[in-house]
This record gives sequence, structure tokens and C-alpha cells, in this order.
Amino acid sequence: MIFPSVSFAQTDTAKKLKEVKINTAPIPEVQSIAPLQKISANAFEQYNAFNVADAVRNFSGVNIKDYGGIGGLKTISVRGLSANHTIVLYDGVQLNDAENGQVDLSKFNLQNVQEITLYNGQPPNICQPARSFSAASVLSIKTIKPALSSNKSYLITAGIKGGSFGLFNPYLLWQQRISNNWSFVVNSYLENANGRYKYKNQGDGSDSVRTRTGSDISAQQIDGALYWAKNDSNKFNLHINYYNSDRGLPGAVILYAPPTVASRLWNQDFFVQAGYEHTWNNGFHLLINTKLSKNYLHYLNPVFLNIEGRLDQHFTQREFYQSAALAYRITNNWEVSYAIDASLNDLNTQYNFTPATPFPIPTRFTLLNVLASNYTIGKLHLQGSLLNTNTVESVKIGKAAPSRNIYSPTLMASIQPFEAPNFRLRGFYKSIFRNLTFNDLYYEPVINPNLKPEFTKEFDLGATYSKGLNGFFNYITLTVDAYYNNVTNKIVFIPHDPFNSSVTNAGKADIKGLDVGLKTQANLTQEWKGTLSVNYSYEQAINVTDPASSNYLNQLPYIPKNTLALNAGIDHGHLGVYYNQVLSSQRYYNNNNDSGDNLPGYSISDASIVYRFLTKRIPVMASFEVNNIFNKYYSVIQSYPMPGRSYRISLQITI
Amino acid sequence: MKQIRLNSLFIALALVTILASCHKDKVIPKQDTPIATRAGVYVLNQGGFNSNNSTLTYYDYTTKSLTADLYKTINGTDLGDTGNDAEIYGSKMYIVVNVSNVVDVVNAKTGKLIKQDSLVNNGVGRQPRSVAFYKGNAFITSYDGTVAVMDTASLAITKYITVGRNPEQLVVSNDKLYVANSGGLSFGNPDNTVSVIDLNTLAETKKIPVIANPVTITADSYGHVYVLSLGDFANILPGMTIIDNTTDAVKSQTNLSLGYNIPIAASGDFVYYVTADNKIAVYNAKTQAAAQTNFIIDGTTITTPYAISVDALSGEVFVSDAKDYSSNGTLYAFDKTGKLEYSITTGINPGRITFVNK
Repeated sequence: MIFPSVSFAQTDTAKKLKEVKINTAPIPEVQSIAPLQKISANAFEQYNAFNVADAVRNFSGVNIKDYGGIGGLKTISVRGLSANHTIVLYDGVQLNDAENGQVDLSKFNLQNVQEITLYNGQPPNICQPARSFSAASVLSIKTIKPALSSNKSYLITAGIKGGSFGLFNPYLLWQQRISNNWSFVVNSYLENANGRYKYKNQGDGSDSVRTRTGSDISAQQIDGALYWAKNDSNKFNLHINYYNSDRGLPGAVILYAPPTVASRLWNQDFFVQAGYEHTWNNGFHLLINTKLSKNYLHYLNPVFLNIEGRLDQHFTQREFYQSAALAYRITNNWEVSYAIDASLNDLNTQYNFTPATPFPIPTRFTLLNVLASNYTIGKLHLQGSLLNTNTVESVKIGKAAPSRNIYSPTLMASIQPFEAPNFRLRGFYKSIFRNLTFNDLYYEPVINPNLKPEFTKEFDLGATYSKGLNGFFNYITLTVDAYYNNVTNKIVFIPHDPFNSSVTNAGKADIKGLDVGLKTQANLTQEWKGTLSVNYSYEQAINVTDPASSNYLNQLPYIPKNTLALNAGIDHGHLGVYYNQVLSSQRYYNNNNDSGDNLPGYSISDASIVYRFLTKRIPVMASFEVNNIFNKYYSVIQSYPMPGRSYRISLQITI
Repeated sequence: MKQIRLNSLFIALALVTILASCHKDKVIPKQDTPIATRAGVYVLNQGGFNSNNSTLTYYDYTTKSLTADLYKTINGTDLGDTGNDAEIYGSKMYIVVNVSNVVDVVNAKTGKLIKQDSLVNNGVGRQPRSVAFYKGNAFITSYDGTVAVMDTASLAITKYITVGRNPEQLVVSNDKLYVANSGGLSFGNPDNTVSVIDLNTLAETKKIPVIANPVTITADSYGHVYVLSLGDFANILPGMTIIDNTTDAVKSQTNLSLGYNIPIAASGDFVYYVTADNKIAVYNAKTQAAAQTNFIIDGTTITTPYAISVDALSGEVFVSDAKDYSSNGTLYAFDKTGKLEYSITTGINPGRITFVNK
């Protein structure tokens, strides 16, 4: 308790820095108790990002599993863990998929996104829904909130993007102030693309360049948000979101075979969510969230050699979710919180064929209770939480998975070892219970209610350095984090052939890695600013299931040992030119780690130019992006080739 | 060397004459020349589904050398996706590559590709699965409900015979072709028949009802055709149907404890198959009674028995292990008493074991 005042002075400074409008970009926030990485709306063009998956692919420790093309599935893997270990929050509330636990990040366009943050472990703020404490990492998407004055009560942003893949993507964002307290935002877009792209067919001796077809997309999304705020500490929001899409799933590229007639996927996702937040002067902080959602998925394989001649499956999942969190600041340096989340999920299916066993129609009730605390003592900052997960499952037909009651603790700490606040050390331990999804448990043909849930232990030890500078450089931030993840009962889905697959607990995995991030900005000349961001990750993710197995200590599939993401740009205020480079070392696509199991590494370069100008007093933003400039042919997933060079033009006006 | 060859040829001729005179009407199910000498063994590895990594492992008996993928080594190209069957007829081997929808005809000794036949119907792959031979024709089942007839001289497909749903394995016995119609792609509504094809008219003559979802099939030299069925994973239990190859009547239907992989192989007096507890059960073809619950007597355990082949010459029983379905497998060679002789590493999902003569 020697330097409490110093410590608080520092946090206050940080807060003010964010609020004060200054011409130079603020120093990126890196000195958090656990690693976090953030990208804001103004950097999306800089990173050639079209959707959420593109925006986060440069983060260290992140691998995007990309099946290729504009309509292709894109899921996130953080620090060698499966997509099920990263929960995605949309304005603080989870986009939950009880069916398969993975969120397709290609669904989310960036037009209404203010910022995206990836937290390893959990967010530092402890007044959060209990779900925020439940995953190995949290990807938080924050949408644009209106900040309008009575002078101009509206702000309309309209734009259009087009280019390769036959992309046609108009969008509209309308922000409206209704009164002192009320405002709304409506965001909508259309996305149409034929999805065609060139790829190189390898392995059959032809090495011919072919056209990938069947990955067309037609999607529409509308998001309406209503805001009420008495003041900054008493506010309410209501979101209604509807997403509709019709996509082609071209399937794997199979050697010698004619291109398969593409399967089709229709999604209709609807949710309504409401949040209320109140902060009292007496130290209490309340956060209430409610959500209702219904996700409908229709899958059609138009050419399947069963009696019906096709596979036609409909899945409807519903969720009712209620969360309440209450935090109390006991003293200036001690805050405690309690959060409770209750959710009810069900899944129903409809098939055009007779399944081997009737679908069980599961319903799951999940109750999460979490106690958390933040405590600062001198230069040491501590955060601890204990999460209890309680699930009760029932099925209409067959046998339900057993109830679970699991405690998952987390402990985080950061310390400022020296007098100067620029350098900090941090570390955390987190235990994660990854519940089984409905697909893991009940999907045909083998229904295995005895499957065990996956348990993961996360350890992190890191250092951060952040300094604002007044000379040639404006700032420099450097983060280095070493981590260790230990997974038991790792769940693995193994497709054997079209009608024969299984989900098993494949055993244990040890993942050791290093994430390094550097960010800096410099005044290159009087008018030109340069930014540079470099993220490097090393991941040794090994199979430690069975010492007698030939796979023992082998690298897990689809995890590159080395990845590097570099983004550099120069910016003139009106004009920005940016260069983006992603480098991945070779990966394996099965457990053997031999030459037959090798997916070559790749190095992909993108560039963009953004120009902002006024025409008839209307601000216009135009950008031109080239992805994969050097037209490299590569795959992230075996048999799913990625596109070669592609272009995108955007034009946006703000009224 | 020459001396030995001549001797072998002489003995072969003598044996063939004796055999021919002893069993005038009997058809020997396999084309093995009894005294031929083996050059080695091929293992066709399916690879991972949609991974385009099917491989052909070759183990040479003389040099004791292992070639992980002979097909790629010789031809420079990949075999494709899910090689499901490889059988030798004459000097050629016919490799059926299921998801790639091709049959690769290769030189049986070198692996050199002679011809690749595509089995595609109006732009849609037929999904070929298994191959058998009779009098100069190769018969190839495909999931689209057909048996393709390929002339082994011209290597052209001359006819498609319609059979039941999603036919899997097939066997020639008593001058007839027996085809297991699985219907496995209609998950809750599998087929439950074996088609009988007249090999002279090349037409289906009847369908024999068997336990639902028949997948694997073999024949002994006592006039029996053995069919293993998966059932429907719910109400219909898996089991074995035995068919009399003279009357085509079902002799017996027995429910057995079978798992997902149900390879079966017959040789001499014994029929070998895999049970749900991953053991190799033995059935006596002569006495028509269960003989052993576990053929392996030396304690060797196999995680996922995936294919069985018996070398009729040596009596050795070869069993492959697919392990976790996404790692390289193992081929185990047992002597006729069930003791492990040696094991070699294969590719992923070793689904077919075939012996090649010198």
C-alpha cells in the first residue's frame, strides 16, 4: 500500500487519454491485465478487411480457418484451441450457437462496427454477463452508437463495395437523434456475389488454373438499435437483428472428379436483445441483458445417392437468455461483482429422409453463476473469478446427456515493477469448461451422450511496454506473452465417408506459444504519418494423448508453428496507402506430421489506398484494395483452395 | 533362378491338372495360382474423406522395403480421394477411387498407370466402390446402384447393370456374381438385399433378402456366400447372412456384435471377420460353426481393425489398423496360428490388402 495514489493516477490518465480528442491517434491500449487486441473502424480499410474474420486475422495468436471465397465459412482459432473456445459478443451479449458452438465470422460485415476486441482469458471489466467469464477467449464486437448533437440530428452513411467475385454490396447506416435521451441506429446491407474465383488444381499432374464455382452468396442484414440514455451512468439499448442468406457450398475440390453440384445453405437468424446499465455514485454498478434468438439453417445437398436423391435438412435453434450482473466498489481499490446468466436452448430438425434414429430434440438449461473481484494493492493489480456452470439437459426421444455442475476459477495479475508506468508484467491462469454442443451429442448417425466435455487450462505470462513519444515517433507499444494451454478430453470430429463419421474424445493436447506484438506511429514528414504493426506468433501445439502412439508429440492439425502479420501504412489525413502481409509456416492437416500430410506455408500480400475528400460539402471516402497482390495459390484447409488476386472498390458518402 | 522358375512352372501345371480333375464343377473363388511366389503386398489407404490423400503402400517381401505411396512415386500424381478397393486380375491391378469417381488400371507389378476410367453419369459421379472379376470382365459396384462391366482387354466399360441401392462389395461364386446392396446412404432406411447377377447374360436374376445394410461379402469353397450387414444402428442389429450358392437360399441369419468396420475374408476352411470389440473372430466354413472369438493368440491388440486379407498360399492373415482414422495405420501380418510375424506402417485408413505375385 505504498503507491496506491500513483497507480490510480495512471489509470485516470489512461481514461482521459481515450476521451480527449486529439489529432494524433491515441496510444493503442495494451497494458491490460490480460492480453487484448483491438481494431477500430478507421483501420478496417487499412487491413483490407471486408468482414469480421478479415479484421482479426492479423491479431497474434489468431488463425482463421478459411474454406475459401467470399461465401466460404470462416471460423476463429485462438492460441491453438478450437473455434468453440472463442465466444463472440455482440454489444456485450453472446452470439451463441448451441448447435455447433462456432460462429461463422464471414456473416458479419463491418459497416456498423465501431471496434472489435479480442481478449485472451476474459475482459478486465468485471461487471459483465457471466458468459464473458466462460471461454478461453472473447471476441467482442461493438457497434456504432449515435453521438449526435441537437445541431444536426442525423448522420447517414451510404456506400457501395464491388469488385472481384462479382461482388455488389450496397449499405446504409442511419443514425438519428430523437430527443435528449432517445436515439436510434439502423444499419442494413445487401451482399450479392457469384463467388467465382481462379485456383490452381494441384496433385493430378495438370497444374491447371480452374474456376471455382458454387460459392455464390446473396445475403441481407438489418440491424436496428434504439438507445435511451439519461446520462452516462443510466442507459438502455434495444437491438433487433435479422440476417438472411442463401449461399452455395462448393465442397472440397476432388482430384479427377467433376466439380460437385454445390450444396446450398440458407440462414435466417433473428435476435432481439435489450440491455440496461446503471452506475450509482455509492459504488454499485448494475448490468442487465436479455436476449431472444431464433436461428434457422437449411442445408441442401441436391445430388445425394439416397432414395430421395438429395439431402435436405432443416435445423431450428432457439435461445432465451437472461443475464444480470451487479458490481460493488467496496473501496477505491477493491471491486467485487456477481453475475448470473440463465439460458434455455433447444434444437429441432426436419429431414427429407428417415434418420437412423429419430432426432432427440434436445433442450438445455444452463445456469452460470460467477463471483469476481478486482483488487489493487500498490503496483499490483489482481483479478479473480470463480464460475459455476450448471446444465440440465432433456430430450424428447432417447437419452439425454448427463447434468453438469462445474467450477472454473480464474486468477489474473499484473504488476508495474518500476517507478515508470511504461513497463508492466502480467500473468493469468484460467480453467475452462467447454460444454458439448448439440451436434457433438446428437448428430447422426452415432449418437453418443456419453461423450465427455472438454477441459482446458490456460496459463499466460507476459510483459507490456507502452510509451508516448514527442519526437519522430508518436508512440511505441510492445507486448510479449508466453502461454501454455492444456486440453483434456479434446473433442474431435472425424468424417470417415459420406455416411460414417464420429465425434470422440481424442485425448490430450499441450499448446505452448509466444505472441509478440509491436505497434508504432511516426511523423515521417510534416504531413505524412507512418504506422507499423507487427504481430508474430509461435505455436507448438502437440498431441500428448498416448506415449505409445506414433503421433505422440506431433503437431496438431491446422496449427502453423510460425505466423507473422505485418501492416504498414502512410497517411496524409486525406490519403492513406497501406500494405498488409500475412505469413504462415507450413501446417499439417492430419496427425502424421509427414510429407504426405503437409500443407505448404504461404505469404500473402494485400494493399489498399484510401482517399477522403469533400464534394459539394459532402464527405466522400473512396478506396481501392488489392488482395493477394502476387496471385499466390494456397490453401488454409486441405482441398479448399483460396482465391488468387482479387480487387475491391468502395465508395462511401456521409450526409 | 531360371531353374527354379521352370520347376515352379512344372509343379504349377501338375497341381492345376490335379485340382481341375478333382473339382470339376467347383469354382475356386480367388485367382491365386497356388504355387506362384509372392512379390509383396499392397495396402490401399483411403486417406481422409475429402482430403485427396489416398495412397498405395507397397511392401516388398524380398528387399523388405516399404514404399509409402508407390502410385505417386511411379506416376508422379496423387491417387485421389478415398481409394476403396484394389484387386489384381492378370497382370493388372484395378484401383477403385470412390470420391474421385475413377478406376485406375495399373501394372500390377510396377504400379504404372495404364488407363484411368471415369465413372460419371451426366456430370454426376457414380461413386465406384469395389471390383471383382470373371472371365475377362471386371465388375465395379457404384453407389448409384449399378455394377459397371469393364472389358479387361480394352479397359472400356461396356455395360451398367442396375442392382439395389448403394452396392458395396461383390463376390463371384458358382459362376454368379453376388452384390451386397447396402442402401447405406439412406440412413434409417437401408437396403437389405444381395443381387445375384448371371455372369453369362450379365443381368440381375434375383434379389436375396439378407440382414439390412449388407456391406461386405465373401465366399468359401464349400458353396457358401457370407454377407456381413451393419443393421440400421437403431432397431435392426448387425449380423451375418449365409447364402447357399447353388439354390441362392439363405442358409442362416445370425445377429453378431459388429462395430462400424466389418471386413470379412475367407480362405480354406476359415472365414475371418472383425467384431465390435475389435477382435478377429473365426468361423469354420467346413463345419459351419463358430471356431474362435479371437484369432490373435499372442496378445497383439489392434485399435481399429479395418481390413483383413488371407494369403491363400502361406495361410498368413493380414489385418490393418486404422487407429484414430486420421493417422498413418499399421499392417499386421500373423501366421496361420494367430501369432504376429511383423508389422509395417501404412497410410491413413488402410482399407484394402492385396497380394502381388512375382
